[in-house]
Amino acid sequence: MPYFHQSACISPQLSFPEADLTQFRTSLNNLLNVVEPDYPGIPAGVKRRMGKSVRMAVGAALPLLEKQPQPDGMIIATANGGMEDCIKFLNQIIEYNEGLLTPASFVQSTSNAAAAQIALVTKNHQYNITHVHRGLAFENALMDVVMSLKENPDAAYLLGCTDEISAYNYNIDSLAGWFRKEPVSNYDLFTTSAEGTIPGEGSFMVWVNNQREGSIARLDDVRTIHTEDPAIILHVFKKFLSENFAEGEMPDLLLTGENGDNRLLKYYEVAESAIQDNVPVARFKHLCGEYCTASSFACWLSFQMLKDGNIPSILLKKNTSSKPVQRILIYNNYRGAQHAFVLVSVA
Amino acid sequence: MSRIIITGMGLISAIGNSVAENRESLQLERSGIDHIKFYKTSYAGRLPTAEVKHSTEDLNKKIFGEPNLSITRTSLLALHASDEAIRDSGLTAEQLASTDTALVGATTVGGMCLTDEIFHDALAKDHGTPYLSSYDYASVTMAIQTRYRIMGEVSTINTACSSSANAILFGARLIQNGYAKRAIVGGAESLAKFTINGFNALNILSSKACAPFDRDRNGLNLGEGAAFLVLEREEDCRDKKNYAILRGYGNKNDAYHPSSSSPEGDGPYLSMKDALKNSGLRAEEIGYINAHGTGTENNDETESRAMIRLFENVPAFSSTKSYTGHTLGAAGAVEAVYSILNLVNQEVYPSLSFKNPIVETGLVPVRTYAKQEIIHVMSNSFGFGGNCSTLIFSKT
Repeated sequence: MPYFHQSACISPQLSFPEADLTQFRTSLNNLLNVVEPDYPGIPAGVKRRMGKSVRMAVGAALPLLEKQPQPDGMIIATANGGMEDCIKFLNQIIEYNEGLLTPASFVQSTSNAAAAQIALVTKNHQYNITHVHRGLAFENALMDVVMSLKENPDAAYLLGCTDEISAYNYNIDSLAGWFRKEPVSNYDLFTTSAEGTIPGEGSFMVWVNNQREGSIARLDDVRTIHTEDPAIILHVFKKFLSENFAEGEMPDLLLTGENGDNRLLKYYEVAESAIQDNVPVARFKHLCGEYCTASSFACWLSFQMLKDGNIPSILLKKNTSSKPVQRILIYNNYRGAQHAFVLVSVA
Repeated sequence: MSRIIITGMGLISAIGNSVAENRESLQLERSGIDHIKFYKTSYAGRLPTAEVKHSTEDLNKKIFGEPNLSITRTSLLALHASDEAIRDSGLTAEQLASTDTALVGATTVGGMCLTDEIFHDALAKDHGTPYLSSYDYASVTMAIQTRYRIMGEVSTINTACSSSANAILFGARLIQNGYAKRAIVGGAESLAKFTINGFNALNILSSKACAPFDRDRNGLNLGEGAAFLVLEREEDCRDKKNYAILRGYGNKNDAYHPSSSSPEGDGPYLSMKDALKNSGLRAEEIGYINAHGTGTENNDETESRAMIRLFENVPAFSSTKSYTGHTLGAAGAVEAVYSILNLVNQEVYPSLSFKNPIVETGLVPVRTYAKQEIIHVMSNSFGFGGNCSTLIFSKT
């Protein structure tokens, strides 16, 4: 059974190096940008060449790797890789009409650059892979670590993800209608009904192995599906519940990826309808914004809740419970087409 | 654990629109590397590439009948090859849409083949192009997912030039771990200003047809194409065509430099060794290697050193990139199909443009088409970021 150990999260909230869930940041100009640390662990020369996405990934990963033996693999998710560098290089191509260009941005923009840089900086020769499947990249990485630990029960893996807001994807996704047009605060996303949400970004890294001792949480199950039909979501969700819970039992919390886009509400309503009326429902995207690997932030928040046993009120949508939180079911969907259920439990 | 069988293959490249056409070109030693005819770039006429010999409009018409305005060339190539693989394997619509069918795609450029359109959409205040949802890597896999309504696990992998080798091994692992009964796996890539200018800035594009493993090689040629395989569990496909067994795989990292291999080829060596261990085979059982063999100074020498380190006697090997160019994210899958053709037809395809061995390593690739008894084939794919993967296929 995979257990999560030390983790690190660089997010728009105060999550790095230690979690502070007593104060929360507000979006600026409809964006939830990360609070970037100084990254003292990354050599200055290397840091200068890194785009934000790679920098966040390496910055979150290094503190976890310092005190450990080498992991037996690095499993990283990123939907877009280094978009900042990508547009820099595209700019050069157009500006110099395909003239003589410098390769730095090209090399940095490949989406495996984060996993590659972490391996390079720590001289790790083991399994190294980058999942890039849009809104399910992180869940695919979870699936990969589950399989890796079945194949190599004594191994330990670095699992993580990174995605950044860049001018490039922000503009393209805005044109496609995925973001709110009117100014909105992240805390008003759920009280105003409109199409679109606000973008976010972040990086999450965690050490995973089969050892319960010293762990923060257990990964019970992951399930993904591609569909736009709420009836299929309901069916899959019910099956997921029946496979993971005894008759009459329910998770202590349903944590959903509701993001204030009224076109996607029907999927979350279906998920809420599948659980008993008294189960607390919470949301997280007003804290981290919408991005392809945002469910990793939910995973990190779950670790904090399982540790403390309670649900911060800023997350709650409905119901409270006096019972300590021991099993959290995360349901996320990306643009109504990609859906994922992840179940994490107290270790 | 179930053995993984290849029951369907599909391929489009510069040397043919189907698996059969590709084989014919390999047998006739007919390279697809030529001047750029279809792609609009200022390097046309200066840098040879291995283009798929169809315009995007033409591919679109072939697949959709009427033009689908939001689909990119990379996705069209992926659909062309996956259609062939699925047809070849005889998977039913019901099987495809069941939760037991996984899909794993790979690409390094995705929809970024439309460099000018992205540039427009990245800056435009309104009037986006029809491609707004088609630029990312996942768009290529999503095109197949949507076409066949695939409901099982779906992933897209980008580990640079080893992407589709990793897609194949990830699909196999989904089956072995019980998350799928069958998997459609492969990759697609099309020419892009992004990669042409990127590789050119790194000074590794040749102005002539590439000459893998030759002493005087001076770089690679970019290629485009797509290849997909259908993987099934042995017990589920006894009554249909079995092309080969996916016997083993390896994935290791060179951890040396973002864009070049370590002098002794540590990553390539570890990857090949990992694949041997995974397959339970000894080095001397490998009958043929489809090398990564890009034709760059760095790759061919370090790959040679890694082969010499691992094999007491280096088996017959060649690089089919001398036909298809380097198809980047599709290369692992394209060369997986060629490796399976080696086994099915008991034949080897020569490396083209080879004249003299590299002085330091002295290895000579296969130089003429020949019939050869082969039981196990190894296929190498190494990428930027040190991502090295090796697949081993065996005769059924």
